[in-house]
Amino acid sequence: MADGAAVWRPVARCVVFCSPCMKGCSRGRYPYGLCSMADLSLRNIKKIYDKNVTAVHEFNLEIADKEFIVLVGPSGCGKSTTLRMIAGLEDISEGDLLIGGKRVNDVEPKDRDIAMVFQSYALYPHMTVYENMAFSLKLRHVSKDEIDKKVRDAAAILGITEYLERKPKALSGGQRQRVAIGRAIVREPQVFLMDEPLSNLDAKLRNQMRAEIIKLRQRIDTTFIYVTHDQTEAMTLGDRIVIMRDGYIMQIGTPQEVFDRPANIFVAGFIGSPQMNLFNARLEKIGEGYQVSCAGATIALSDRIQARLTEKQVGERDIILGVRPEHVLLKSEKSSYTISATVDVSEMMGSEVYLHVTAAGKDAVLRIPTTELTEEQRGGFSYGTEIHFTFRSDLLHLFDPQTEKSLLL
Amino acid sequence: MGKKKITPYAVISMILLVLVALVFIFPFYRIMTGAFNDPTNVWKAELFPSKLTMQNFVRLFKQPAWKWLYNSVFIALVSMILVCGTASLAGYALAKKRFFGQKIVFTLFICAMALPKQVVLVPLVRIMSTFGIYDNVWAVILPTVGWPFGVFLMKQFSETIPTEMLEAARIDGAGELRTFWSVVFPVVKPGVGALSIFTFINTWNDYFLQLVMLTSTENLTIALGIARLQSADVIEYGPLIAGAALAAIPIVTIFICFQKYFTQGITMGAVKG
Repeated sequence: MADGAAVWRPVARCVVFCSPCMKGCSRGRYPYGLCSMADLSLRNIKKIYDKNVTAVHEFNLEIADKEFIVLVGPSGCGKSTTLRMIAGLEDISEGDLLIGGKRVNDVEPKDRDIAMVFQSYALYPHMTVYENMAFSLKLRHVSKDEIDKKVRDAAAILGITEYLERKPKALSGGQRQRVAIGRAIVREPQVFLMDEPLSNLDAKLRNQMRAEIIKLRQRIDTTFIYVTHDQTEAMTLGDRIVIMRDGYIMQIGTPQEVFDRPANIFVAGFIGSPQMNLFNARLEKIGEGYQVSCAGATIALSDRIQARLTEKQVGERDIILGVRPEHVLLKSEKSSYTISATVDVSEMMGSEVYLHVTAAGKDAVLRIPTTELTEEQRGGFSYGTEIHFTFRSDLLHLFDPQTEKSLLL
Repeated sequence: MGKKKITPYAVISMILLVLVALVFIFPFYRIMTGAFNDPTNVWKAELFPSKLTMQNFVRLFKQPAWKWLYNSVFIALVSMILVCGTASLAGYALAKKRFFGQKIVFTLFICAMALPKQVVLVPLVRIMSTFGIYDNVWAVILPTVGWPFGVFLMKQFSETIPTEMLEAARIDGAGELRTFWSVVFPVVKPGVGALSIFTFINTWNDYFLQLVMLTSTENLTIALGIARLQSADVIEYGPLIAGAALAAIPIVTIFICFQKYFTQGITMGAVKG
C-alpha cells in the first residue's frame, strides 16, 4: 500500500473446543463447544423470503474475536436481517454461520451465547429494572447472590443503580436504553448484537450514548456487531464497517479506508457528511501521464493516482469524478485549472462555511475553512455570486460511470 | 384554578344519566326488597317493604338451592378459568406465531362467532351423550371452552405485544411456555381480566344451554332451579324472588369489583393506546 494504510486481517482463530460436554471449560455454560473466543464467520449467507424475495445476497464476512463491526446502509439494505440471522431470530436460507468455528445455523438463539439490544429497547414492562436485568440469569438457574452481584455491577457501569426498583415506564428513553444494554451485559455474552440502539433517542442523547458505548466497549471485552443507518455512528464506533445496499455488501473496511478509498459511487456518497460531490468528467492521456477534464477545466492528478491508473492500464474514457466538499480549494481568479460555479446558499458554521453551488450543471457542496476566506467573503456569499475552485489533486476519486466502481482500487 | 364551570348542558346530562341509572337499578331494587318482604306482599306496589322477613329464603332452601348455587358458581368459575387459559394461548398464537393455515383458523373462529348457539345444540347434545356427561355440569362447561369471542378478544390484546419483546425473551433463554407465562401473560392481563368477567357473566346467564344439558334436580343451576319452582300449578313468587336475589348477588359483586376490566374489554381498540 503506497500510502501506508493498514490492511485489516482477522486475527488467528483461538478456539478451545470442549465437546462433547461442557466439562472443563472455563465458562462452562454453553453446548456446541462455543467456550472459546468469539470469532464469527459468515459464509455465503443468503436470506430469501417467500421463495423469490432475496433480502441478503452471498454475504461473506470474517469477524475477529473482540472486534467491533458496524453494518451500515440505508433502510431495506439487509443489515438488520443479517444481524437477526446471526442472532438466530431469522432462518438462514443458504450459507453457513460459524461462531467459534462451529456451525450454528440450526442452534437456538439462547444457545448461541449472544445478547441483543433492540431499537425499541424491548424491556419487559411489568418487571422492574432489576428483574429485567436478572431475567436471563434466572432462566439459566444462576444463584441469587450471583445474579444480585452481576446486576448491581452492570447497573454501576451504566449508572442506573438508583433506578433498579423502577418499572421501565418510569424511565426516560436514555435510561431505558441503558437498561437494555445492562440486560445484555449481565449475560457476559461472547457476541454483543445491537440493532440501531440509538435511533429512538434525540440528537443530544444519541451523541452522549455513542460515547458511552465506546467506553462500554473498552470495559467489556467482547465482540460487537452493531447495525445502524447513521454513518457518523458507523465511523466513530466501528473497527471495521460493512456498507450494504439492496442486500449486497458494497465495501468492508476500516472507517478511514472506506472514507479515503470508497470502492464505488454508493460508498462514496454514503460515507462522509456532507456527501461527496460527483461530476461528469473525462480522463485524458498526455504522453505517459493522465489528466482529467471537467467542465472546461483541466485537473492534474497526483503521482499516486497516476501510478495506479498506469498500473491498471486505464485508457482515455468518460469518468465520474468524486471530490469531497472539504477537498476543494477556492481560487480568486478564473483559470484553465478552475471550475466556475454560482452560489445558491451559503451556510456559515463558524469555523467553516458550506457553499451550496451549481457547478458543471450539478448541485455541489463546498466546505471552506473560514481562515481561507477574505474579510469580504466572511461576511457571506450572496445568491448568484460567481466563484472559482479547484481540487486537491491527491484526494480525487475516479469512478467508472457504467459499473460505478472505483478506477483506483 | 380547577373549578369546573357548571353549564346547563352538564346539568341536563346529569339529570338524564341519573334517570337512566334509576330505570336500570329499579328492577334490581325490587328483587332485593321483594326477597326480604313478606311472601304475601311480594308484588305489592310499595317502595319500601313494610316488614322484613327471611321467610322467602327459608322456603327456597327447602329445595336444594345451595347445591344449585354451588353448581352455578362451579360452572361459571371453571368455565372462566378454562376459557381464559385456552383463549389467551390461542389468541397469542394467532396474533404472534406464523403457522400454516393461520388465516383459515382465524376465519373459522370469526365464523363461529356469527353462528347462533341453537344451530350447534343438537350435535352438542349428542356429543355430550357420547362422552357420557349429559346431565352433568361438564356438559355445560366444555362447550364454552374455546369460546370464539374470547379467542378474538385475546388475539386483539396479543397484537399489542411488541414482537421485539418476544424475541428478547427468546434470546434471554425463555422457551415458548416460559415466554407466554412470564412475558405475554402479564402484558395481556387486562384482557384476561375483561375476558374473565365476560365469561363468568356469559356462563352464569347462559340459561339455554343449561336448560338443554341439565335435567336432574341436584344438577340444576340456580337459574334453572328458580325456573323449576314455577313449573308447579301454584307459582310461589316468594322463594322465586329470593332465588333471583341469590342468583344476582355473585354477578353484581363481580361486576362491581372488576368494572374497570369490563369497560376496558368493551372499549378495547376504540382508542389508540
